[in-house]
Amino acid sequence: MMLRRLVLAIAALSLVAAEDRPPPRVGPDWPVIGAGYQPRDKDERGLWMQVDEAERELKKSNFVVRDPGLNGYVRKVFCRTVGQAECAGIRIYVLRTPYFNAEMAPNGMMLVFSGLFLRTRNEAQLAAVLGHEYIHYAHRHSLRNFRDLKNKTNALAWLSVVPVASYAALAVLSAAQLGLIASIFRYSRAMEAEADAGSVPLLVKAGYDPREASRIWAELRDEQDATALARNRKSRKDRDGGVFGTHPNSAERMAALRALAEAQAPPAATFAGRVEYIAGVGAWWPTFLDDQIKLNDFGGTDFLLSNLARDGWTPELLYARGELYRSRGRADDLTAAAGCYRQAIAAGGAVPAEAWRGLGLVELRAGHTMAGQAALKTYLAKKPDATDRAMLASLAGA
Amino acid sequence: MMRKLVMLGAVALLAAPAALAYKLVPQGRTASVAKGAIKVTPSINWNRLGARPGRFAESWTLDGLTLNDVTFYGGIPDDTTLFRDSRKREAPLPRFSRTMLAPDVAQLFEGSYRVAIGTPLFRIERVEPATFAGRPGFRFAYRFTVQSEEVERRGEAAGAIIDGRLYLISYEAPTIYYFDRDLANYRAIVASAAVGLVKAAK
Repeated sequence: MMLRRLVLAIAALSLVAAEDRPPPRVGPDWPVIGAGYQPRDKDERGLWMQVDEAERELKKSNFVVRDPGLNGYVRKVFCRTVGQAECAGIRIYVLRTPYFNAEMAPNGMMLVFSGLFLRTRNEAQLAAVLGHEYIHYAHRHSLRNFRDLKNKTNALAWLSVVPVASYAALAVLSAAQLGLIASIFRYSRAMEAEADAGSVPLLVKAGYDPREASRIWAELRDEQDATALARNRKSRKDRDGGVFGTHPNSAERMAALRALAEAQAPPAATFAGRVEYIAGVGAWWPTFLDDQIKLNDFGGTDFLLSNLARDGWTPELLYARGELYRSRGRADDLTAAAGCYRQAIAAGGAVPAEAWRGLGLVELRAGHTMAGQAALKTYLAKKPDATDRAMLASLAGA
Repeated sequence: MMRKLVMLGAVALLAAPAALAYKLVPQGRTASVAKGAIKVTPSINWNRLGARPGRFAESWTLDGLTLNDVTFYGGIPDDTTLFRDSRKREAPLPRFSRTMLAPDVAQLFEGSYRVAIGTPLFRIERVEPATFAGRPGFRFAYRFTVQSEEVERRGEAAGAIIDGRLYLISYEAPTIYYFDRDLANYRAIVASAAVGLVKAAK
């Protein structure tokens, strides 16, 4: 398909050439755009046409989360951040993709990856990310990128010499692929800095605490450390890699954002919106956590869980932690998992029935047949329509 | 599975044509698969893929792996991945443990796919006890969609843990048309499976 080839070509190019790219031109020839904007010249119309086509495909995708509750909440936060008039023409798509990212295409299509919702802690942080993406759009960064690339070389010519840089590049592409365009719009460092700078006044104007923005990066760095530690590797936090290919490194970004926020935050701007955030996205946490646990990233996932549990370990979070330990499955993990499931059950309230399933399985694996079978029987009583009922009933000796 | 396709693409670029060749597996004759770990007798002709998805694995197809894919996992030992851990640094695959129970194996399979093909749209639909190669084993059904491709596939896998090693035969095909068309032929392979004949003969 033509589009895919173009995306791959430009994405491969930007992955390879990111560091050499000249800083974008910023000036009066790049007016900021707003609602109802239409492309003006040949380059821009061409770019929009490609992205419009991609958006038509995206609308049919199995990866789009269509829940009206979640979508409504994200849109509400976005509109509060950028203004009602400005948000009107923007389409937001939440993608079931367990990584931390959001992307904005030049035609007003915004992609929000589901992994974001486990990593932003409150409404102000979500607003910071959405506002940042909006600035990319308003400043037409992707068009500027496209022109820079076009001036520098013939993008299509790269197709023949750079198939795909590596498996790692391919992995990034396929992770972001639904995001198709996502990969095209890997902005330069200067553009990212510009988007960060532009988002702070938006947050202030909308009444959010702008200091929350830099906290996102602080936590991302800690998460990267945690992933690396559990994998016995060096942390990637000071590298420009992975999903954040050309972004300024997170330390730099965190410091710049913090300075901007401190300078601009009115003394009364302390609204972070933690309660509103939980009400808006909390219903999706079990699903997104399950996706995260199955990434086989023990350290990073444990970090995220602990972060989510900062206000206390709920039965859902204890259950999720049990699942995390059970999925790694070393001998001591099974013991730890059993502990988590037991705590979840003891906590009472909204205990997921799956806590008994997990407990039963780890007890049986550890050779505690009686306890394991009892837990599985409880699970089957609570969840008679379980998909693995036949297998569990057999293990439970029922 | 798709990970294999990606690897095959890379193999093609490196120009190793021999590894890519398909070999006919004739119907009605006992075939030794996954380095002799499993023996099966297919009911129709299949094509064996030269390039193997992992040290202990082997794939067969009828019309190409994206349309029908039978993969044999022959004796995965403790602390080993199902297929090649080609992105070990950034996205390591989960590992088999000899203490796993059937639901854990299904989850290992799910996790391996999710990581290898980068999709969260994978779900296990049914896990039940079943006899495999004359031993007590299990069978599970699954469904998944590959990102960027959007084709939904259904799959079925049957296996057992024998002497601490995992033996598994999986089948997957697009939900539309192909899955149902070739399911019986896959099941015939599973029904004919024998494990450990090599050892027994010694």
